[in-house]
Amino acid sequence: MKYEVVMGLEVHVELATESKLFCSCSAKFGSEANENVCPSCSGMPGFVPALNKRAVELGIIAGLVTNCEITPRITFDKKNYFYPDLPTGHQNTQLYAPICRNGYVEIETESGKKKIRIKQIHLEEDAGKLVHDYRTDASLVDYNRASVPLIEIVSEPDFRSAEEVVAYLEKIQSLFTFADVSDCKMQEGSMRCDVNISVREAGSSELGTRTEMKNLNSFKAIARAIEYESERQITAVETGCEEIVQETRRWDDNIGESYAMRDKEDANDYRYFPNPDIMPVYISDEWIAEVKTTIPELAEEKYKRLTEEYGLSDYDSKLLTGSRKIADIFDGTLKYVDNPKEVANWILGDLSSIVNEDNKPFDEIDIDYEKLGKLIKMVEKKTVNRTIGKKILQEIYTNNVDPEEYAREHKLGMIADTGFLKDIVNKVINENEKSIIEYKEGNQKVVGFFMGKIMRETQGKADPNTVREILVEELDKYKI
Amino acid sequence: MKNQYYVTKYDVKADNAFALEDNIMVKDGLTTAGSKMLHNYISPIDATVVRKLLDKGMELAGKTKLDEFAVMGVSGDNNELSGVVGAVLDKTCRIALCNDVFGKVRRQAAENCLYYIRPTYGTVSRFGLVQTVSSMDQIGIVCGDLDEGIETLSVIAGHDENDSTTQGDGSLALNSKGPLKEGKYTIGIPVNVMNKTDEKSKEAIKELASKYHTEEFELEHFEVLSQVMYILSSAEIGNNTSRYDGVKFGYRSENYEGLKDLYTNSRTEGFGLNMKLTSIIGAMVLSSGNYEKFYLKAMKIRRQIKEQCDELFKGFDAIAMPLTLDSQDPYVNLALYALAPLCGLPSLSVPLGSNNGVQLISQAMNENVLFDICKGGR
Amino acid sequence: MDIKDLLQYEKMVKFDLPESEREWIIEQANMLEKSFEALSGIDTDKTEPLISPIEVQNPLREDVAHKTFSRDEILANSPEQYDGYFLVPKTIE
Ligand SMILES: [Zn+2]
Repeated sequence: MKYEVVMGLEVHVELATESKLFCSCSAKFGSEANENVCPSCSGMPGFVPALNKRAVELGIIAGLVTNCEITPRITFDKKNYFYPDLPTGHQNTQLYAPICRNGYVEIETESGKKKIRIKQIHLEEDAGKLVHDYRTDASLVDYNRASVPLIEIVSEPDFRSAEEVVAYLEKIQSLFTFADVSDCKMQEGSMRCDVNISVREAGSSELGTRTEMKNLNSFKAIARAIEYESERQITAVETGCEEIVQETRRWDDNIGESYAMRDKEDANDYRYFPNPDIMPVYISDEWIAEVKTTIPELAEEKYKRLTEEYGLSDYDSKLLTGSRKIADIFDGTLKYVDNPKEVANWILGDLSSIVNEDNKPFDEIDIDYEKLGKLIKMVEKKTVNRTIGKKILQEIYTNNVDPEEYAREHKLGMIADTGFLKDIVNKVINENEKSIIEYKEGNQKVVGFFMGKIMRETQGKADPNTVREILVEELDKYKI
Repeated sequence: MKNQYYVTKYDVKADNAFALEDNIMVKDGLTTAGSKMLHNYISPIDATVVRKLLDKGMELAGKTKLDEFAVMGVSGDNNELSGVVGAVLDKTCRIALCNDVFGKVRRQAAENCLYYIRPTYGTVSRFGLVQTVSSMDQIGIVCGDLDEGIETLSVIAGHDENDSTTQGDGSLALNSKGPLKEGKYTIGIPVNVMNKTDEKSKEAIKELASKYHTEEFELEHFEVLSQVMYILSSAEIGNNTSRYDGVKFGYRSENYEGLKDLYTNSRTEGFGLNMKLTSIIGAMVLSSGNYEKFYLKAMKIRRQIKEQCDELFKGFDAIAMPLTLDSQDPYVNLALYALAPLCGLPSLSVPLGSNNGVQLISQAMNENVLFDICKGGR
Repeated sequence: MDIKDLLQYEKMVKFDLPESEREWIIEQANMLEKSFEALSGIDTDKTEPLISPIEVQNPLREDVAHKTFSRDEILANSPEQYDGYFLVPKTIE
């Protein structure tokens, strides 16, 4: 029997706001425990929530870039449960009037293009963080993430393979990072994904019992977990020795298995009700239009600009729009050198290999666009040659040096004095009479031999093109 | 006992001293909200109302006792004098602030020849008030001299950036200079409510009717006001007090093994019986299977009641509600006090008759009318 | 409400009531629940729920972050803390 895997995704994304959803505490990642906390977001009494406007706008943008309808009047509901990471005993979320509905994104896999439908996107607040402490054998609670704005993107059960799931997540990541909705970093938890998975006989239209997979912290883990869980379910259906129950399962990427999670709560009734402290927010068409104008260029539009306006290759343009970071470096540098092709070459060539050697993901590098731009210009104007340029790039990358200053200090400027170069060329020619004969006999390889000698004489600081011109001119004198 | 009405009493000689119910925060001081759950809670802030009064040069006389989390029990004896009423009565302060959602202070103030001003919902900041029923919480004023109460209201009312639901400015609460209305005020008397009141209340309303132009009307849904009030408030109270769990602040049980014990024992030991009942009912009315039947239904009836009031105020400047019914049952009497908080309307408890009075309720933001009626009548 | 229902609600709101309180609460709850039946007689088919008595749109907060309280102030009321964290018994996963 052939089986088909049916999956739906719930993706949580932390919004890129400065402050939290209901208070002015910083929403930035990476602070000391409980440093970005106030009485309000640690659950103390006597505070009234003040909804963050930017969070609503980012919710609207998330909906616009995923082709959703924006709900004209949104409300917030309280979801009740007890857990130490939830300081108020309830999570503010949107059950009855989520901000976006009925959207889709288009993904592309080896089997072609496909639309994944989005059921809804809702705004909610994040919970704090629990760490197990071995010294005290207790749990430690940090509320820095508590009340940071989140959106949850709920898809329809449109996925049939892990490949589609990953393609979708990459698409969401691209859309939201380019649109400034979120930085979507799975390793920092600003993008999280739960997979609802069930199996059925191929061709059947009924859905099987689904399980929900949690704790999927990387694309690799997601693919592995899907493979594991779909096999477990197919075996269960085929052998009948295990019944599939609707449950939440936690993926353990170390051992490569999932196991049923014990319920956080004894009684699983969230007792949702509308939060009377958060007034309904009316989202007018005017507001949506205004927000729309603030959306930065998305990867697809950028790709078009790179191929059509700049004439870059498909391959290069795809690479340069593959992540927000690389696209930012490209556009940032382009502001200082108006030469897209050169900028592309530098980023995809020399910079990439330097980053590669550094064993760092491209998305985590930090480089000054202006300095990179200056360097490219220096090479273009032949102030330094390309080989030296590459060395300087390494210095910019590791030590953030100014390329001009660095070249001056290390006397790396190119020798452009043709009189001086002519003397060197003639000196080298005179020292190698045998080679002149070869040249006269038509051996063009000799040019390369002379070039190497001359470049060595000039410690690589001569402009190779100028040297070649002079060399050929001088050599040709012997031909007569 | 000299300070039987206070939890904390300061030695204040000033003649403009004010008292606070112990659910309104004063920075670095205890705020217990009358609960063991918060027995050791030190406020990190000054409530906006406190800040405003202190800035006006008024002095804090102390913090008064209250029902646990200001939640009145619906069974048993409810007659113990409220701390705020007692404090104003024994002249240890001129005015006292409290959050009277369930009507105890409204009734007791008038019975003791004092006034209670419950302003329009959203006119006084809730910043620093321990929340009870978020959609009904409203700091009000107990006073012996109405002018002092009005003056106080003009100080504490107005928009506060720390409470996004506040609106308007203090002037809405101010006593207007000229006459607010040409001719006489018309006061509506709910005849179906009057049929159920005791003799004292009938007498008080009669006194009111002798001075004003009154018209009778039928108050629809009066027979379910207690229920609607109880359903909505218990859900909100249960939710607002689920933050008290022994994890972050307040009472933590000494007997616990794991997390579940910590929660359960802290909450079981920390809350009083009435709060436990309230939370259980709150969970019941919100639980799946009951939500539509109870909570959603109550919210819908709440709208019908509010729409009815909007309609009534097209004809009346105010409506008068008695303060006691001919039943002693607090749950039955709750219907009298539910109208103002359910609809967010301002109300004024006025002493009238012998040891009794009426509540005058007006349109939102029309506190002026209530004050004007009250003064003209005296 | 019977004892089974009550135990369910106790779990939801984290109580473990003594028997004497259970008896009283069940009695009160049944009295209240009975009174709630009166709501069913009111036609609300065409009525939207009222969540708050004021339904104006409030100005939303501009997205500006600022630190208002120190960590020490936040932890000042905590029953148990460790190294800048609130401390609770270990949560079982
Ligand atoms: Zn905060």
